Amino acid sequence: MKGLLKNNFYAAVSNVKVFSIVMILLGVFVVAMDNKIPSLIIAYMLLSMVGFSLNSAASLRKEGASKWSKYKLTAPVKRSEIVQSYFFSLLLWLIVGMVFAGITVALSIALHGFPFDRNTDVFMLFVVGIGVSLFMGAIFFPLFYLGGEERNEVFLVISLLGAIGVVMGLTTIINVLFPARMTTIQIILGGVIILVSALFVFIFSCPLTTYVYHKKEY
Amino acid sequence: MENILELQQVSKAFPNSNFTLENVTLSLPYGSILGFVGENGAGKTTTIGCILNTIAKDSGTVKLFGKEMQDADTDMREKIGVVYDGDNFPAYLTAKQLSEVLEGLYTQWDNALFQKYLEQFHLAQNQKIKHYSRGMTMKLAMAAALAHHPQLLILDEATSGLDPIMRDEMLDVFLEFVQEEDHSILLSSHITSDLEKVADYITFIHNGKLIMTASKDDLVYNYGVMRCKESQFLALDPKDILAYRKRDFQIDVLVANAKDAQKKYKGVVTDHVSVDEIMLLLVKGERA
Repeated sequence: MKGLLKNNFYAAVSNVKVFSIVMILLGVFVVAMDNKIPSLIIAYMLLSMVGFSLNSAASLRKEGASKWSKYKLTAPVKRSEIVQSYFFSLLLWLIVGMVFAGITVALSIALHGFPFDRNTDVFMLFVVGIGVSLFMGAIFFPLFYLGGEERNEVFLVISLLGAIGVVMGLTTIINVLFPARMTTIQIILGGVIILVSALFVFIFSCPLTTYVYHKKEY
Repeated sequence: MENILELQQVSKAFPNSNFTLENVTLSLPYGSILGFVGENGAGKTTTIGCILNTIAKDSGTVKLFGKEMQDADTDMREKIGVVYDGDNFPAYLTAKQLSEVLEGLYTQWDNALFQKYLEQFHLAQNQKIKHYSRGMTMKLAMAAALAHHPQLLILDEATSGLDPIMRDEMLDVFLEFVQEEDHSILLSSHITSDLEKVADYITFIHNGKLIMTASKDDLVYNYGVMRCKESQFLALDPKDILAYRKRDFQIDVLVANAKDAQKKYKGVVTDHVSVDEIMLLLVKGERA
């Protein structure tokens, strides 16, 4: 597993380097700007979390150019471990995205004050970023093995749109369950429902992906 | 003699292809090299896929080290080194990073041995694999396959991208590898001259079927090709004919024992035969 994680890291790192530089520059801009209009911070937080996760998933395509997909099946690792390594890698890059988002929003608040209506808004932004990233991974990985490496890009788009759709759908359901104006507890509960759902689907997707992968021939 | 690898009646069909691997049966004894010969699309890589479980066979058994290998048998895969034709490793890695990756996969990974092979094969450690030539990627794959101390090497066209000098060096590495009694190599190759140099046994595959397996010494020293005129060909006992091929003014006939054939059919020129010519006769010729 350690070797697989290292390979996943090397696969993602060149794109992540470029993305990190862009995010640092954007972060400096966001922090420097007055945050009376919080849309910049909102966009930055979501972009960093989803962007890093997306990079991790997109790096799978790089393996397809060589016989590595076939070669690693001859190495002493189980197919389930190969799949788990991708899920772990996405989680790790999501955490990096969360760190970027956290530092930037913290600096902005420290310099310009709290930009949102409620304290729970920051939590909800993390919920949406994490939720979209996890749902995206949960949809993408089984599709990747089902449809083949050459369709990686279209599956990424489908997964991202699907994940946004699922989070929006869950939010709508929560809004129906807890009509306006929601209490702080209800907002937190709604966030937890989205997080738990995303985590559940992400975890369930891992054995599903392994099942699909077991049918795959190289 | 005990076998490190045994295939019994292995078959595999592909739904979107006419190609079928049919009842492939072969064995590789400990301490030997089995050359696996066949034209493009004959079924060599499919057979290797069935051996290594990268392809699910439809029927038959594959035993490695006396046991059928499942996905969970990672300990068995510790003992197998594999080299595929072309790019085995992701292009974004350097040899140094590859070593780190493989160190995390193989418990027996020997970084010092890997470094030794990198030096021997003149491979730069910090150069990305995408900047390697085809020959360099093959050499890197060989170094990686050997550096975790495998018992069985499975090489799919592993010498095809190499120049003659490097191929010769590589063949020496193979011969050194099988000096250990419990080491063996399955070597699939188009370059039959390589097999003539190192293989102990040669198996011919054509259209998904094994057509012949023989010891290399038998092929080189006993097999022969009779150059017959039509009338001479018609007088031959069909039992003596392994395969024949009509050419402009003669018919080449493959026989299992050139000396016996010479004695039996006086007046017919009988030559020793190369593995290349045997393959041509078996693949392009007709069998009696």
